[in-house]
Amino acid sequence: MNREKKKKWILVVLLGIGCIFILFPLAWMVSTAFKPSAEALNGRLIPSHFTLDNFAQILGTQSAAYVLRWLGNSIFVSFAASVLVVILDSMAAYALARLEFFGRKLLFYAVVSSLMIPFIGLLIPWYLEFSNTGLLDTYWALILPYTGNAFGVFLLYQFFLGIPKDLEEAAIIDGANKWTIWTRVCVPLSVTPTVTLGLLTFMNVYNDFFWPLVASTSKPMLTMTVGVANMAVGEYNTNYSLLMALTIFSVIPMLIAFLFAQRQLRQGIATTGIK
Amino acid sequence: MNAVTTSVNAKRGKLPKKKRSFKDQFTSFLFAAPYLVVFALFIGFPIVFGFIVSLHNWNPIVGPLKFVGLQQYVQLFDFHTLAAQEFWNGLKNTCIFVVISVPFLVSVPTVVAYFIHNARFKDFFRSIYFFPTVMSATAVTTLWSWILATQGGAINGILGISIPWLVNQPWAWVSLTAATVWWTLGFNMLIIYAGLTQIPETTIEAAKMDGAGPFRIFFSLVVPQLRNVLTFVLIISVIQSFNVFAQPQLMTGGGPGSSTQVLTMNIYDQGFRAMHMGSADAMAYMMALILVIISIIQFRVTREKGDS
Repeated sequence: MNREKKKKWILVVLLGIGCIFILFPLAWMVSTAFKPSAEALNGRLIPSHFTLDNFAQILGTQSAAYVLRWLGNSIFVSFAASVLVVILDSMAAYALARLEFFGRKLLFYAVVSSLMIPFIGLLIPWYLEFSNTGLLDTYWALILPYTGNAFGVFLLYQFFLGIPKDLEEAAIIDGANKWTIWTRVCVPLSVTPTVTLGLLTFMNVYNDFFWPLVASTSKPMLTMTVGVANMAVGEYNTNYSLLMALTIFSVIPMLIAFLFAQRQLRQGIATTGIK
Repeated sequence: MNAVTTSVNAKRGKLPKKKRSFKDQFTSFLFAAPYLVVFALFIGFPIVFGFIVSLHNWNPIVGPLKFVGLQQYVQLFDFHTLAAQEFWNGLKNTCIFVVISVPFLVSVPTVVAYFIHNARFKDFFRSIYFFPTVMSATAVTTLWSWILATQGGAINGILGISIPWLVNQPWAWVSLTAATVWWTLGFNMLIIYAGLTQIPETTIEAAKMDGAGPFRIFFSLVVPQLRNVLTFVLIISVIQSFNVFAQPQLMTGGGPGSSTQVLTMNIYDQGFRAMHMGSADAMAYMMALILVIISIIQFRVTREKGDS
């Protein structure tokens, strides 16, 4: 027993060393962001002058309007996409798993095989679709393409298959129609996978770089990821203190989401990942 | 006997389903309809449309210029053309990245997950190792570019060395891989961790009783038991590494020279810088085809191994 305990503590020490590798880049980011620009290159982890100037400068100058706008864009777009994905996917998964209709099998195979398509094949057609309809550089372009992704349908389909038939039959005897079975039986039972799907969608859309890079052409319509990338090669090119402060801004919404939902995310990924 | 009766029952149970009225089927269909619309608009139609585009010289502003048939695919095999040289160079670099990164993307999370599973403070460690996953590609690459900067970067500064991490080979590949592992480690770790919790404690206890050491337990017991999970992690890691874009685009810019210029970057440049949408789409479809073939081979190989 004592030996077992010792082993556990050895692992804790090893993992602790690993944590340094994980946390060091983050610590360096925070430290640089709180240093005056002149000190950014001094190579010390602890700033000798602790300053909030970088954050003040990001919020207080001309570029500020854009930074907050990009942040707002990112949050709005990710939220809208998640809500749409959750509703559309849940309804479609319910129809595919629990109902009978013409073409159901065909739709199912189309949905599953679309999971194989690499994103790059869709990028250019999407771009042309939106530019031909004049919707490039709008929120429509930033939100809608994500809703076609079949991952969520497949995830919830798997879950709905497992709901016992008895529950549904009992509901039918009580006079429930398909709509009430979906809203009163399936939705309440699938809270965990549905919330996980919403969180993962939010995370993916918020963090996406490639699609907003081509979908948004004007500065006010950029998302935070593209905005930070532009600032990194543009205005803030060699000013690492400002750049790190800006990066922290871009991470804050996900940090908050992480703190509130990490248990949910952990369980969700663990259970949904394998399927 | 039992099996026969249940199968008969199942058949009987299916019969009334076939007789469902049109109205009933239609109201069922309505649930799938909204998703079907976005699926058609943003997956189905783009696949067909993209193929049509790849058969044309297509300018993003003017539209189709000229129908050229499969010429833009054929051109990728004619090494006198710039498109072919870029495509194969990009493919080569993409494959290099896959080969370098995937072993780490699978092994490091496996070890970390195994350690955490057997250590104290499980929740704490899982949270820490998972955190970088929630960051965006831009945040990660911006941060790592700064840490790896030759002048004033943290690594060179602290170690007192001056390795040109992002502008010389092989350091550029090392840097891209390190940043990718740091970023995505947590996601794979969680999936593998979930697999570890499925292994019955008793098997491991029994092996310990028989005097098996920790390494032996890990390699002869834990890894084989995790086969399905590791296969899944391997396949998604290959797909993700094959699709890599943000890390080389934002960290090395494809350099030094064009040694980290991956396929996705070439497609992006061809389509959105050179404005050759048709040719870019032909490249994208070739890449998609290669990726699908790789995935199918992986499924086959891992399945066969599973059968034996």
